[in-house]
This record gives sequence, C-alpha cells and structure tokens, in this order.
Amino acid sequence: MARLGRRSLLSTATQVGVGVLAGVQSLGTGSIAQASSRTPASSPVLTYIYAGSSDQKALPDVEKALSALAMERISATVKLVTFDWGTFDQKISLANAAGEKHDLYYTAPWINNYYTNIRQEYLLKLEKLLPDLAPILWGSMTPETWDAARVGGSIYGAINQQIFVKPFGPYIRADVAKDAGVEDAFRALRSYDDIGPIMAEVKKYIDSKKGGFQYVTVAPNINATETFGYDVVDSGLVVKSTDTAGRVGLYSDTLEYSRAALMIRQWNELGYTPSEPKTSSEQQDAWKAGLSTMMMSGVVKPGGDAEIKARWGHDVISVAIAEPLLTTAGSTATMTGVNSLSPNPEAAVKFLELLNSDVKFYNTLCKGIEGVHWEWDDKASLLIRPAAGKASYADTGYNPNTDWQFGNVFNSYYTARSQVGAWPATADLNRNARPSPLLGFTFDGKGVDTERAACAAVAKEFGEPLTFGIVDPMTQIPALNKALQEAGIDRVRAEMQKQIDVWMSAKKR
Amino acid sequence: MTVASRADTFTGFRMPSRRRFDAATVVVHIAVAGLAMLCLFPLLLVLASSFTDEIALARNGYSIIPSKFSVEAYVAIFNKPAVILRAYAVTTGITLVGTVLGVSMIALLAYPLSRRDFILRTPISFMVFFTMLFNGGLVPYYILMTQYLNVQNTILALLLPHLVGAYYVLILRTYFSGLPDELFEAARVDGAGEWTIFWQIAVPLARPALATIALFIALNYWNDWTTALYFIRSPDLYPLQYLLYIIQSNAQAMALQEQVGQIGTQKLPTETARMAMAVLATGPASVLFLFFQKYLVRGVTLGAFK
Repeated sequence: MARLGRRSLLSTATQVGVGVLAGVQSLGTGSIAQASSRTPASSPVLTYIYAGSSDQKALPDVEKALSALAMERISATVKLVTFDWGTFDQKISLANAAGEKHDLYYTAPWINNYYTNIRQEYLLKLEKLLPDLAPILWGSMTPETWDAARVGGSIYGAINQQIFVKPFGPYIRADVAKDAGVEDAFRALRSYDDIGPIMAEVKKYIDSKKGGFQYVTVAPNINATETFGYDVVDSGLVVKSTDTAGRVGLYSDTLEYSRAALMIRQWNELGYTPSEPKTSSEQQDAWKAGLSTMMMSGVVKPGGDAEIKARWGHDVISVAIAEPLLTTAGSTATMTGVNSLSPNPEAAVKFLELLNSDVKFYNTLCKGIEGVHWEWDDKASLLIRPAAGKASYADTGYNPNTDWQFGNVFNSYYTARSQVGAWPATADLNRNARPSPLLGFTFDGKGVDTERAACAAVAKEFGEPLTFGIVDPMTQIPALNKALQEAGIDRVRAEMQKQIDVWMSAKKR
Repeated sequence: MTVASRADTFTGFRMPSRRRFDAATVVVHIAVAGLAMLCLFPLLLVLASSFTDEIALARNGYSIIPSKFSVEAYVAIFNKPAVILRAYAVTTGITLVGTVLGVSMIALLAYPLSRRDFILRTPISFMVFFTMLFNGGLVPYYILMTQYLNVQNTILALLLPHLVGAYYVLILRTYFSGLPDELFEAARVDGAGEWTIFWQIAVPLARPALATIALFIALNYWNDWTTALYFIRSPDLYPLQYLLYIIQSNAQAMALQEQVGQIGTQKLPTETARMAMAVLATGPASVLFLFFQKYLVRGVTLGAFK
C-alpha cells in the first residue's frame, strides 16, 4: 500500500471533505462526540490491536476474563481487536492515518513498521512513563536493550522480552540422521565447512531409498549475516561484530558471502538442492510431504525443535553454528506501542506493565482461560495441556499461538514437555550474547529512500539465484555488486557511515 | 445518424454473408487463439493443481494434467464448509442486491441526464463527471466511511462503494440520448406519463446497455476484496475474495515471522486447498460471464456510436 499522509495534511483533507459533505457532517460529528463521552475517565476501555488469525471463536470470553482482571488491577477494561496477519499492515496503517483512537498496538521493524510509525507521529513517547507506571517491565531489561528501541533519544515501544539473538544453524530430520548414520557427526558440527561429508552421506542414503525423498535440502541458503558475525543495518550493509570502530561494508563484498555462495553452488552441482528457487510456502510443502531431509539455516533456539515438529510433523536435530549476537534489529523484533492519540495513555502504559509482569493476565491472553481452554499438566514445571475433552489447542476455540507478540514470553506457560526449561535457557542466551558494536543504533534512511528501494530490487534479482546455487557465484557476485553500485549503494553507505560516526562519538562522550 | 443505422446496433452485428479463408484471416485467428490460450493457461493450471495429490504436487510441481488425481482438497474444504459457505453467502448477497440496486439507481440518474428538456442536466452531468477526475484519496474515503457514515464492519460498507459508478452513468446517458426523440414524443401524445415512458419505452430499448452495466457491477462486487480489507473486521462478514486474499497473504506473513526467529505454527491450508478455493471463488464468475457474454460484446461498443 502506498505510504499514507501525515495527520496534519489529513485533517486539512478531512475539512475539505467535510465542507462538501455538510449534510453528512452533522450526522457524523454527533457520533464521534458520543464515542468520547462513552468512556468515563474512571474506568477506561483500552483497545488493543494485534495480528493473528481472526477465527478465534472464544475471543469474547477471553476478552471478558481479561477485562475482569484488568478492572481489579488497573481499573480499566480491555477491548481486543485481531487483524489477520496478512492484512495487519494495511489495516493498522489506515486506522492510524485516519486518527482512530485505539490505545495500544503491535509494531516492529518487519511488520507495521516501527520507524515509519515514529516518523508519522503515530506512537507515544514512553521513556518518561515507563519507569513510573511500568517499573517491573522497565527493570526487566538492561538500559542497552532499551536503547535499541530509542529513536532520536525517545522510546516509542515496549520491547517484548523474548529471544533477541538469532543463533542460526542447520536442521536435519532425526530419523534420517539415524538411518544414514550421521547423527554423531551432525551433533558435533561447529562450522559449515564440515557439513559437506554429512550431506554426501545423506545423499547416498536417499538415493538408496529410491523415490522416497527428493532433495537433501530444499532450503540451502546459509547466507544469514549473523551466521558469520555480521550485524546487518540496512540494504545489505553490515558491520563486523568485532569491529568496534563500526566500519560499514557491503555484505555481498565479503569473503564469507563468497565462500557461502560457492558452497551452495557446489551443493547444487552435486544434486543436493532443487534446480530452481522455491518460495517459502513451497519449501514448507516439501518439508511436510517429507521430500527434504535438511534445512541448512534456521534459528536454533531452546524449544525450537518442538516448534518445528509442530509445524512439519518431523522430529529434528539442530545445531547452532552462529555465535549469538545481540543486535538492534533482534532486540526490537517485537514491540507494543501506545497510540499517540490514545485517550488513556497512562492506563495504556499500566496495561503494558500487566502484560509483561502479571503471569495470569499474560497467559490468559496467550493461552485462554484455565479450565476452559487449557488445564495444568504439571503445575510444578508450569506445563499445561488442552482442556479436558479437547484434542488440541486449536480445538478449544482460542489459540492465537503468538506469545512473543503480546509480552514477556518468559512468563508464558509451556505447552509441550520438550519445551520445559526453554525460557531460562533463552534468557541465558540473550544475556551471554556478544553485543553488536551497533547495539542501540538505528539507521534513518529517509534521505536515501530512492537508492534503498533500487538496491532492494537488485538484491532480490541477483540474491535469490545465488542463495539457491543455480548461478555461478564467480560471475554473479561481481555482477550483483556492480548492479548495487549502479543502484546507488555507495550513497546509502556514506549516509550510514556518517550516522554511525555521529552516534559513536556521542556514545563515547 | 439515421434510424436505420441505429437499428443495426440494436440487433447486433451483421454476420458476414460468406465465410472467407484468406491468409490474413488465418494468421489473425491463430494469433488470437494463441493469446486466448495464454489467458486460459493459468486458469487451467489452477484447476489442475486443485485436483492434484498434495505430495505429488510438492514433488513434481505444477502441470496442466494432474500427476496424481485427487479430490482431497475439495473434501478438506467441504469437511468444514461453514467458513466458505458463509463467505459465499456474503458475496452472493452483495452481488445480487448491489447489482439490482446499482443498475436501478444508475438508470434513474442517467435517463434524466439524457433528456434535453431537463433544466439541471448540465450541472448534474458535470458533478457526475467531476468525480471521475478527482477523488479524495484513500484516507479521506476511510474517514468518511468510518467516522461520518459509521458503516464499518457492516454489510453496508461492502455495498455502498460500488453502487453507482460515474463511468456507467455516462455510458448509459449516452445510450439513452441515442434513442430517437420521436419515440418519446409519440408516447407523450398518446398520453403516457414520465414513469410510463421510462419503464415502457426507455428501459426495454436500453436492455443491452443495462445488461452490460449489470455485468460490470456484478463483477465488481464479486471480485472486490479491498473494500473488505479496509472496512470489515468481523470474520462473519468476509466476502469470498477477501477470504482468499487472507489465506494467501497469511502465508507470506508467516515467512516474515521466520526472519525474526519466530517459527509460525499457525495452521495454513495446503497448496492444493488454496487452489481449490480459488476455483470455487472464480467458477461462478466465469459462468456468469459466459451467460452475459453476448451482451458484453454489444455493450463495449456502446460509447462508440453517437
């Protein structure tokens, strides 16, 4: 969708519209006035908008239960609004642009763009409100983590405590690893350099199976920047995690990128991979259908194998290869913001505190009502199961399954035995990760938007064939870099370097 | 223009008296047939995929003949038919009501505008035309619908936006003004009132034009998903096309979640089920098109004479 106008422009446009539609106006203003008078200051109704699947039949019950809890704790009630994942971006930006008076909504750099929302002044500054009204949430993260959400010195969203790092690594189907006799070798992997012989064994195994499997891997891409210790800022421009000077380089110009591309190319020539790029949904279908045995790069996280099994129906073994790196993008991957037009900003911030500190409140939103949607399996280890008589969580009528979108996932109850203990382990992972030299820096690409768009188009055109190994990296990587140059990557790089230098010298002072 | 030449238009095109097979005709026919095949190919591919076995599709990719025939996708959809049947009901309902209401309103507006003795003819025509040149843009449109008309999340939100199209009003006005004035005068002399003239003379003569416009409006309603995207939040009111859009776009959103380290475990319909839904959604529209096709051929030349 096209970028929507600023509110200031908008109100003018509305006034023009109002003039033309004088008759309608008298109708409309009445109802708006009504709407604001309907919310008495004593117990505000907090409207919370998030992404999910809209067919949650039991949502009204959950809303009632949450309202009762919120009434008790912060004297407010809750209105939950779910927009389908695929429509969330468009619906929320339209609602924001039209100046609707909802209170809280989900925002992130990758959906409902956090930085665009800040630029359009759709988000409330929280740095003064959080320490007073949400002390537990404020204290649950280090100042460095909060810095990641800062733009121009202000914090515009409450970060959800979850996995901040992305330790990428390969996955293999457990049954295949066992039958092909590569399980021990796979578990011992520390680098992609040693994975070739394992893949060769797997290839031999699937060939002997004749027709059962189709590929060694349907997803050969191992080019995630974190895998090789780079923090990607924007447009494929990276800073090495060990470079405290913060020098910006082009990722596709690095030795690591070329080596990875050559490796993938070799896998393709050996017949390990599909002969043409597969979309992510095709990859998923291939996994589900049991055609692929390995995924070369996924996030390896505590409890991750259980999530993969829930999704694809296969037990897997995974090994983290990338060193955990704490970056701005990783820290701000999921946030809840307060609408700048919220009629109840203080109650909204108290609501954020509830979401992130009140275990019962949070789990009611994430899992539903105890006894109705879930029941205790093993209370001592915080393990739950679907309520009696329900085969799965999906059958209970309430299963949003996005704890990470709502708040501190470390307060979330475990839904599978294999998941138990994942949260402390994740917290450790976050704590022990190496902070990127750019942690807390955010790039403002406003001045070079045209170049960034052109570079993104180039990266898509050249990048995809390279990540599937269907073209020769020896000729295509130079071609990619030349095309990026022509698209104006140097201007983006210069702008980025300038901003990083300013940011770094300000940090030293 | 003479009455005789108009009569030709009313009865459709005259067929050539003799079939000729010269080289040019053959070349043109082959070219057009090729083009038609190109248009048809994606549809056939969707149809074939919807009847393909899930695993066979993942293994062999798409093909015009199912590599392994299966009706599993349709069984899966009609196992839990509530969602799709409700969407069907919404779409069919707004299409029927919207088309009937829309054509009536357009005809009632276009006919007076075609009459030379109507005093406000020019200013009202201009107002209709003006909306084709300028519009307020998406956000003011959204504000109008949600904050002034307050129709968000109701069936009216789906119905109102496509009810009267300025372009259709102008087409129909042109058509009406092409009818001979003598007819109306004769009727008036015989004692017919304005309503009688409109219903008994103007409307029957304009049937091809009305049918064309009805088809356009019906297709607009049938294919519309953006209106629902903007204004509908309750799943009970999702039209068919919007349901399809959500399923497709949810799949893309899940790929995004993976990039931030979240493994989306939401249930998604399989590839073949998505294809089957596409078939179910487009099927009736295609039939409707075949039925109205003869009017359409006539209708697209409507603006051409006069």
